[in-house]
Amino acid sequence: MAYLGRILHGFKTLLTGLRITGRESMRKPVTLTYPHVEPKLTGAYRSAIKLIRFEEMDSHDCVACLACEQICPSFCIKIDGGKIEGIKKKRATLFEMDFALCSLCGLCIDVCPTDTLEYSRLYDEAGYDRDWNMDLLEEFRDFEPTFIEQQREREEKEAAAKAAKKAAAAKAKAEADAKKAAEAEKAGGDAPKSGDAPKSGEAPKSGDAPKSGEGSAS
Amino acid sequence: MKTPNPIDLAPASAPEDEMYYLNMGPQHPSMHGVLRLLLKLHGEEIITAEPVIGYAHRAHEKMAENRSYIMFLPNTSRVDYLSGMIYNLAYCEAMEKILDIEVPERAQYIRTIANELNRISSHLLWFGTFLLDLGGVTPFLYCFDDREEILEVLDRVTGSRLTYSYGRFGGVTMDVDDAFLDGARAVLKRIRERIPMYLSLVHDNVIFRERCDGVGVMTGDLLRKYGITGPPLRAAGVAYDVRRAEPYGIYDRFDFEIPTRTAGDCMARFEVRVDEMEQSCRIVEQAIEGLPEGPIMPGRMKKRFKPPKGEFYFAVESARGHFGMYIVSDGTDNPSRIKLRTPSFSNLSSMPEVLRGTFVADTIAIVGSIDVVLPEIDR
Amino acid sequence: MPKTLAEMLGSPMLAVATGLGGVMGLLSFNALFCIYLERKISAWIQRRMGPMEVGFHGMLQTVADMVKLLGKQLITPKGIDKPLYHLAPLVVFAPVVAGTSLMAFSGSFALHHIDLGLVLVFTFGGFAVLGIFMAGWGSNNKYALLGAMRSVAQNISYEIPLLLSALSVVMLTTSMGRTVTVGDETVAVQGLNLFHITMVQMDRNVWFIVLQPVAAILFFIAVLAETNRAPFDIPEAESELVAGFHTEYSGMRFALFFFGEYSNMLIGCMVATTLFFGGWSGPLLPGPVWFFLKSYALMAVMMWVRWTYPRLRFDQLMRFCWMVMIPLSIVNLLVTAFFLKVF
Repeated sequence: MAYLGRILHGFKTLLTGLRITGRESMRKPVTLTYPHVEPKLTGAYRSAIKLIRFEEMDSHDCVACLACEQICPSFCIKIDGGKIEGIKKKRATLFEMDFALCSLCGLCIDVCPTDTLEYSRLYDEAGYDRDWNMDLLEEFRDFEPTFIEQQREREEKEAAAKAAKKAAAAKAKAEADAKKAAEAEKAGGDAPKSGDAPKSGEAPKSGDAPKSGEGSAS
Repeated sequence: MKTPNPIDLAPASAPEDEMYYLNMGPQHPSMHGVLRLLLKLHGEEIITAEPVIGYAHRAHEKMAENRSYIMFLPNTSRVDYLSGMIYNLAYCEAMEKILDIEVPERAQYIRTIANELNRISSHLLWFGTFLLDLGGVTPFLYCFDDREEILEVLDRVTGSRLTYSYGRFGGVTMDVDDAFLDGARAVLKRIRERIPMYLSLVHDNVIFRERCDGVGVMTGDLLRKYGITGPPLRAAGVAYDVRRAEPYGIYDRFDFEIPTRTAGDCMARFEVRVDEMEQSCRIVEQAIEGLPEGPIMPGRMKKRFKPPKGEFYFAVESARGHFGMYIVSDGTDNPSRIKLRTPSFSNLSSMPEVLRGTFVADTIAIVGSIDVVLPEIDR
Repeated sequence: MPKTLAEMLGSPMLAVATGLGGVMGLLSFNALFCIYLERKISAWIQRRMGPMEVGFHGMLQTVADMVKLLGKQLITPKGIDKPLYHLAPLVVFAPVVAGTSLMAFSGSFALHHIDLGLVLVFTFGGFAVLGIFMAGWGSNNKYALLGAMRSVAQNISYEIPLLLSALSVVMLTTSMGRTVTVGDETVAVQGLNLFHITMVQMDRNVWFIVLQPVAAILFFIAVLAETNRAPFDIPEAESELVAGFHTEYSGMRFALFFFGEYSNMLIGCMVATTLFFGGWSGPLLPGPVWFFLKSYALMAVMMWVRWTYPRLRFDQLMRFCWMVMIPLSIVNLLVTAFFLKVF
């Protein structure tokens, strides 16, 4: 009987298997018909790196610090550049990446001090040879002279703005000092807390000052 | 119809001229990459079995000596490409210990989620290929379908599917968003729905039971002799799991069990892995629940790391067992030596003993059931 | 009684020529169609799409594959046993042509009509194992040899339950109707005549699967084993023996093995249709249509089974045969005999 029972039980498990595969066969296929349908790339998708075009500069911001070249475990980045005549900012004059060697680890992106590197959205690249040397500066090259001109103007403006700001800041500081001195005078010697406020000169603490003034008034 | 142990069926001593050698691999459909088994056979019965390895040697350990600590990071995912996340984060954690870097809470939780999702995907792949070895093609594709879901979720934060390079010394490289967390929850729900289906399709199946019950028993002394860890060890009744034995990361905060079986055969290893998937689901669930807000890195990633002089050992539980990294530092920013203790290597080295007296068909089942990843063995 | 081709054409030679052509055409179509069907069924079960690119829903994919196989180089390995190696594909393929010609497609027409049809079909079916063994032995390859040895043991063992379960149907046939009447002709029933087996089922309005469910299941399992289909595909178990007995065959030689396998499946299903599912009987549609519909439905079940189960181990396979299949079929035979005697 046990013999027959085992056979029957085995048979039952086999039928269960058939039932499951039968049920699955009724469901919709999950195939992504790749060349006909473009796969959706996630936001984090990793592909060959590229230089970000910053809006305010209308160009990349690679300063040729060589951080990425040095950290690259695949030694696939080649950078040249440095000081450019006429502007303070350092610029890369050569930025090549051999995508055939790249292991897409993203260390270059994380290490970049100016955050000018990001992953591109290349996804179905294929080729007949192994020449995957990419010139990342290519799209910026035509614009480079204009950029340098604009950068010089910007730097001049910045310098001017900086000087103006410095002057303004000095002026504001003088004014604030005068104001605080007047306040301290008004509050008198009975509120030691308010006496601290002008010393630190910070916004939240100076906000305390009227409070203590209120307290003293009550 | 209990299968008698094939060893009982084997002739006491077969004449030498009736034996022959069969080269299984390195090119063979079920040798998991490039394992070569040199089998000495008498008919279909195995007299001796000798694993020959080294066909996927890529000199990862040597590469470590020629580059800085941070540059070795992408290599770690490629040692074992099926649980690349676990290896990658293990290396990060080891380096953080050595360099004394504080990892933000949020990064710790994200790491745990990623680790366990990776463990589930690795087990799913093993499940599929094991069935493929036994001749069942369909469960393989069901598993890949589920695994695809996990890879998609991990893709959302890491941007890769296998070789993640997600960890950085001090944290992770990208923050998770709500879409990721929802995806992870959906994965858990799906895996939990599918496991009963897998069990009734595969585990209860009489043919599968015949193939696995009592086949490839690894128990007792053998485990100690070869340093077998991971599911094969737990299938033999030893509840050793690095996550519990020497908790690393934040594993001591989660409530999970260490599934064990006592039989030590292919079936026990199968059951242990299926239960582990469920436990991993539990951990992910708790980690999602407790995920705090905050930074994912202590600051900007540094370019150079100079650990103090000395020797360090750090171990984690990979999907295949006890994975250790032995790092020798000479005080410079290049490691003097990194030795990787990979679980597959130890597990595979027991094969000559386990395979003796079994059949060719069992060889496939046993090698499949210990879940070797050849690139991890060759490194 | 069905008219044979020779009677219809009036010339035996012409009948042989047309019959052979017809059967070859049928088998070629069958192989192409079955490969397509197998791909589609496996795809549906695995929630894939299967071939979709060549032709409408990939219908021409197998044709394209056949053209590819025809164009492939025939690689002959070193150290082979030449006559065996070269003959093997033919030995696998030729008997299935003969076997197919014996089938009872319809009540009014037959390629061949003899009273020992069932025996002859099984005889021709037995040839397949010879071809497989020749291929394995002649290939000078250890995997092929292992596959061949497995195949021989398996096929010879499973022939026993196959015949025993068929025998219970034969007993039923001869007991249930001593004569069958077709038109104005009345003939004595021959139990081994495939046409008579069908006619008895039509006469009594019952399919033998109803009366012999155990025999039907045993027969189906034995057919699976005989045709080396999963879960009994250990002679070519791809995860163990790479490709088993046909490891060393390439191009058209390999295709002939495939032809042989699918043709053997078709024959097995056609015999099962005749024995258990009332052959060509059925309403509205003409007989041959019903016959092939039933046969291909069985074929689809075989594919469904293949894509569901893992593979048995060799010794388990043999134990299953000798400890389950054969005892059950003997018991089934005895019970059948007992009931036929009593009632």
